Amino acid sequence: MNPSTNSNVDVKGALVKKGAFHGFFTSFPLPLAPIFIFLLFFFLWPITALTGNAFKSNEGAFTFSNITMLFQDPYRMAFKNSISLGLISALVGAIPGLAIAIAIEKQGSRTLKKFISSISGVLANTGGVPLAFMFLAAFGPAGLVITALKSVGIDLYGLGFNLFSFTGLIIVYAYFQIPIMVIVITPALTSLRKEWKDSAASLGASRFQYWLKVGIPILMPSFIACYLLLFASAFSAFATARAMTVGNIALVPLQIGSLVDGNVTINQANLGYALAFGMIVVSLFAMIPYIWIQSRTSKWQNR
Amino acid sequence: MKNLGSKLTLVIAGVFIFFPIYAATEFSFRTGATHSHGFAAYRWIFEQSGFLENLGITLRITALAVILNLAIMVPTVTWLHLSGQRYKRLIEILTILPLIIPVVALATGAQLSMPGFMQNSVYELSFMYVVVAMPYTYRALDIGLSGHPLSTLTNAARNLGASWLKALTSVVIPTIRPSVLAALFLMIALSLGEFTLAQLLHWTTFPVWVTNVSQQNVMGATALGMGSLFFAWILLFAFSFIGGRNSSTVQEEE
Repeated sequence: MNPSTNSNVDVKGALVKKGAFHGFFTSFPLPLAPIFIFLLFFFLWPITALTGNAFKSNEGAFTFSNITMLFQDPYRMAFKNSISLGLISALVGAIPGLAIAIAIEKQGSRTLKKFISSISGVLANTGGVPLAFMFLAAFGPAGLVITALKSVGIDLYGLGFNLFSFTGLIIVYAYFQIPIMVIVITPALTSLRKEWKDSAASLGASRFQYWLKVGIPILMPSFIACYLLLFASAFSAFATARAMTVGNIALVPLQIGSLVDGNVTINQANLGYALAFGMIVVSLFAMIPYIWIQSRTSKWQNR
Repeated sequence: MKNLGSKLTLVIAGVFIFFPIYAATEFSFRTGATHSHGFAAYRWIFEQSGFLENLGITLRITALAVILNLAIMVPTVTWLHLSGQRYKRLIEILTILPLIIPVVALATGAQLSMPGFMQNSVYELSFMYVVVAMPYTYRALDIGLSGHPLSTLTNAARNLGASWLKALTSVVIPTIRPSVLAALFLMIALSLGEFTLAQLLHWTTFPVWVTNVSQQNVMGATALGMGSLFFAWILLFAFSFIGGRNSSTVQEEE
């Protein structure tokens, strides 16, 4: 408890002393000060520090050499793997997630909706070792599905299936990607008003024409936004990737993990920060369009 | 026909969600190679050193994160709805920013920027968790409050002769309670299972401890994984149940 109070006092003191933000804060409403200080201290400062170090040599001089390292193997390979993992996993999460969200909307009972939204919130936060062991028990070499299929003569592992592979990772990621999709796409589906369907029908449109001319064009921006969110989620997943791979798949979050965990020589210290900076850049490409689309669509969806 | 399709979708989704849970639960009760079942793997958990200690650490980190979240987010969002509408857009953009930065990257940055006295305390994690949860907790509070014309309700209470204190305790707090609980639910769900920040900032929390001991015993690790999931789920379901009860009370009061 003590560090918490101390830190805020310290930050406030530091800000006032520096004076750089003084004018800003006096013209700013006081009730927003806490959230500003919090974000400044625990969000902006870490990112500034890591960006600075990404462009520093070990002697502390400015350099691009850490960044150019990102375009050489094994780091280039890791970015390629992580980006394709993100792109494929997002699709594998988005399509079933949309189908489930539509099914829930159609079934439409309030209790079902409430139950699904609680369970999705819980499942979206499932990951790491517990998730890995769940899939190991089901689809591992001695898992229930694999042994059951073997007893009827189908040897999936003999056919080349492996849970600890890129494909396996995509299947495991689907376990938290699908619930995330259900959570984020549901508001867009509820905004499809029944009146539109009725008016399309009364104007003589078939169900197919309604979806082609009304439903899909309205849902498309939200679907793209949710896809981008799922991309970022799989691209940056760390705990599950760490539990599921045994060093056989190069992924950026894992490389950062081993670099900042100190398993490597000290002269590569800033390379970890350069990798983290690279992740932020890739993530920006997905998340800036996401935020832009979401803010445009939420204007009329929340009415 | 269309109902059949959507029912089938939900059944397939249910199988995909519940089958791995069932498989891991069954696996965790196995004893040895023969297909007999027992609690051996669960007894193994309690024999491991650090079980209660690390569970306690995670619960305390979660508690501090909940308190910080209450102290920072609730007054901010309430103020934005009552008299700071001009700043809503700004705060909306600011609170979504943590979503842009992968947690792995944020953790490496925090390693550099956290002052020494905070790096020496495991509670630095609570502060980071509040930031990571902010895109979700802000939206939960904002959506909850958007449904109620909070300033109209407060003005009405004032016009009817209520004091500011009375307006706060019998109008504002009951109105925002369901959305506050929704935000805290998200905060708890995140802090109980968070691994990345804890691992990269070199702290042994419960999820980190689970990962470490899981390398020793597959059966025990499965039991531990399922035990920790069920513990979190029960806690969260209990919490959403309390939340649901409170929101219905509010509706009755309205």
